[in-house]
Amino acid sequence: MFDDTIENKAANDAAAAASAENIDPAASVHEAQAPEEHPIHTTAYDFRAIAIAITGWILPGFGHALLRMWGRAVTVFLAVGFLVYLGAGMRGNLFAPGGEDAFARLGYAADLGTGSFYFIARSLETSGADVSHADGDYGTRFLATAGVLNLLAALHAYEAARRRKA
Amino acid sequence: MIAMVPLHLSHFQSLLLFAVIISLAFGTLGRRDPLERLKYAAWSFAMFVLVAVALGWLMYPVSR
Repeated sequence: MFDDTIENKAANDAAAAASAENIDPAASVHEAQAPEEHPIHTTAYDFRAIAIAITGWILPGFGHALLRMWGRAVTVFLAVGFLVYLGAGMRGNLFAPGGEDAFARLGYAADLGTGSFYFIARSLETSGADVSHADGDYGTRFLATAGVLNLLAALHAYEAARRRKA
Repeated sequence: MIAMVPLHLSHFQSLLLFAVIISLAFGTLGRRDPLERLKYAAWSFAMFVLVAVALGWLMYPVSR
């Protein structure tokens, strides 16, 4: 799905520039793919990327906002927010810690993926979950999907911060 | 505490809402160019709906 990496673009650009100047494209591509990296810079990038991923997880879209990817930040925030709102409105099951079986623990992990929105969903669902109807069952899926989508977005922000994706 | 209005959606309405939201997120995260984003989101949406409806019909004979 995410195939537009910065490395690929850099390699393509280098090859195009090299062919325009009659330089061996393979050599230029090799140079583009192996930039000289300072160890301190790499560690700083890693630390920054992890911090961005964690902030993106806690507040959906904030990781992308820190990277000035405004469109993605707004989309992630609204998508996760709508899914949580719909899931809570449909009285989906919001799993609590200390589940009895593996499914409950997995559901809790997925729900927790929404970060701070988990607590918003908990405050919205004042009358509790009702999975005796199809609405509640769909709501459970909406809440879990919101969490998984937010984790995917946080991972994307992490990769973008490490200059692997754009 | 915020008062929440209970939502009652049909199966198909839930499917459409889910497909729209996830497709838009996939399109925005997965592509950079706005036109590419729109194409990818439309493709994802169509696949979500078509596959769900096809699976529904596939399961229909064993549903009762």
